[in-house]
Amino acid sequence: MEHPIPEEEPGLKPPFFKSWSGMYWLVLANLGFLILLFYIITKYYE
Amino acid sequence: MRPLDWVVLLGTLGFIVTYGVWKTRGSKDIEGYLKGDNSMKWWTIGLSIMATQASAITFLSTPGQAYEDGMRFVQFYFGLPIAMVIISVTVIPIFYRLKVYTAYEFLENRFDLKTRSLAAFLFLVQRGLAAGITIYAPAIILSTMLGWSLTATNLIIGILVIFYTVSGGTKAVSVTQKQQMAVMMGGMIIAGIMVVSYLPANVAFGDAVAVAGKMGKMNIVDFDWDWKTSWDDRYNFWSGITGGLFLALSYFGTDQSQVARYLGGKSVGESRLGLLFNGLLKIPMQFLILFIGVMVFVFYQFNQPPVFFNEAAKSKVYATAYADELRTLETKYSQIFEQKQEAVQGLVTALKTDNEQAIATSQAQVDSHTAAGKAVREEVKAVIKKAVPEAETRDTDYVFISFVMKYLPTGLVGLLLAVIFSAAMSSTASELNALASTTVVDIYKRSVKQDGSPKHYLNASRGFTIAWGLIAILFATYASLLDNLIQAVNIIGSIFYGTILGIFLVAFYFKSIKGNAVFFAAILAEAIVLSCYYFTDVAFLWFNVIGCVAVIVFGFILQGLIGKKKEELAA
Repeated sequence: MEHPIPEEEPGLKPPFFKSWSGMYWLVLANLGFLILLFYIITKYYE
Repeated sequence: MRPLDWVVLLGTLGFIVTYGVWKTRGSKDIEGYLKGDNSMKWWTIGLSIMATQASAITFLSTPGQAYEDGMRFVQFYFGLPIAMVIISVTVIPIFYRLKVYTAYEFLENRFDLKTRSLAAFLFLVQRGLAAGITIYAPAIILSTMLGWSLTATNLIIGILVIFYTVSGGTKAVSVTQKQQMAVMMGGMIIAGIMVVSYLPANVAFGDAVAVAGKMGKMNIVDFDWDWKTSWDDRYNFWSGITGGLFLALSYFGTDQSQVARYLGGKSVGESRLGLLFNGLLKIPMQFLILFIGVMVFVFYQFNQPPVFFNEAAKSKVYATAYADELRTLETKYSQIFEQKQEAVQGLVTALKTDNEQAIATSQAQVDSHTAAGKAVREEVKAVIKKAVPEAETRDTDYVFISFVMKYLPTGLVGLLLAVIFSAAMSSTASELNALASTTVVDIYKRSVKQDGSPKHYLNASRGFTIAWGLIAILFATYASLLDNLIQAVNIIGSIFYGTILGIFLVAFYFKSIKGNAVFFAAILAEAIVLSCYYFTDVAFLWFNVIGCVAVIVFGFILQGLIGKKKEELAA
């Protein structure tokens, strides 16, 4: 299975992070945090 | 509607439309018209993406859904942030490298013309239908609540959108969506503050949430899974994270109404940031809208709710022989509410004392009265159905607008109506813009007239925007109410999205599968999804997974058969 992702353009950096993978992890970590928070709220008010 | 409401409503909409037309005047070619000259910054892209997805249905239906079913609908969005990351990594760089105007152009590059045309056709069918519903859904509710003509409301929304979308193209859509998002979120936050402020003095915010929890409305996450029964459960964690992921991948990666938003970015980085911005904020935004619906539910535990939220339907019953039957049921409902009041106050007191026994007793009493109230509501719906057979008996879409019209002060009613109109206009504008660009780029320019001048294609884009706008208005005028409105849009999307996503995933990741195999695999997959829709009870979110997986599996099988046939012929 080939993966056609081109090389990242030089000089195109996201804010706050050195690479785009930092931004991606931020989005995924935010999702994980929200799911955990929602789970706690669900259980607390059950 | 009082004069101040009219001033706020017309002033807000007039400003947004005028600003959009003025700011984006003078598009001279198709590049500027369809891609906004690739000048958009990430915050414009991010807000534009959110405004495109947040239609009026989001603001009318979602609070009603929370009122009826609690917070669990938020799980529908759990796959979205993952999709934003996948699209940022995989899709955006390819689209930029190929300098495409539409997502479907890429498919000809990878497969052949017929696969590109098939994907464009599937998109035009489903988005064309959805554009009609996007106008119709708020129009039917607003016309019912405000006593306006349905046709006039459809025309107001449709013509305003056509006006600035034809004038400024993609850029006008994105520029106006920034203002529309500000109006939408500002209006909803104010509505949320107002509903909490209307709670009785002895009920603090924490008490209100606790009451909602005890009445089953804080059911945000459900991890339970039963292999026999959970497949037709529309909203749980597993359908949200898998079905929602596939739906979001299809919607943001292959639906031109969203692809056009980030293709107009200044660079790959701006487009990525715009999408990731959506990945960070979409779930909190949906949570907020659902939570407002839950607070409206709590408000109606202390204030008598109407027995049926669609007052216009009730008024029609009063003019029939069933009027007395309805009045009797209303009286019964009021009596149950009075008894329930004591039980709810008892529950609040018990929750404050933290006495488990007292909480359980009060909760049982509240549940019993709630069940009695629900039974009366069902009787009312049956009476409405008998008296006015064509009337819609689902009233959840009317819960929030009914609260706004009855309880919000003058001025704020106008603002909340501006929220709903803005949302309808922002989604419709993206849809018309995408329908026109797909028609021009993938059908007209590719297969009908290949030697036109840039000016000719610009005029064609404007012409097709008007044509699709008129089709959407026409469809909206003759559409009948489909189940719950927000679900109707998502069901239509899910029927087609899986197949389109499957074609794109094969294009991106399975190089061995060629044009003929994927084309016929897509047709077979669509037939399977339609069979599931008509003949099974499978929840619609799974259609995205089924369609997508079917394209990939059939693609492999057909490619194997085609390859074998070629080998035999060569031998």
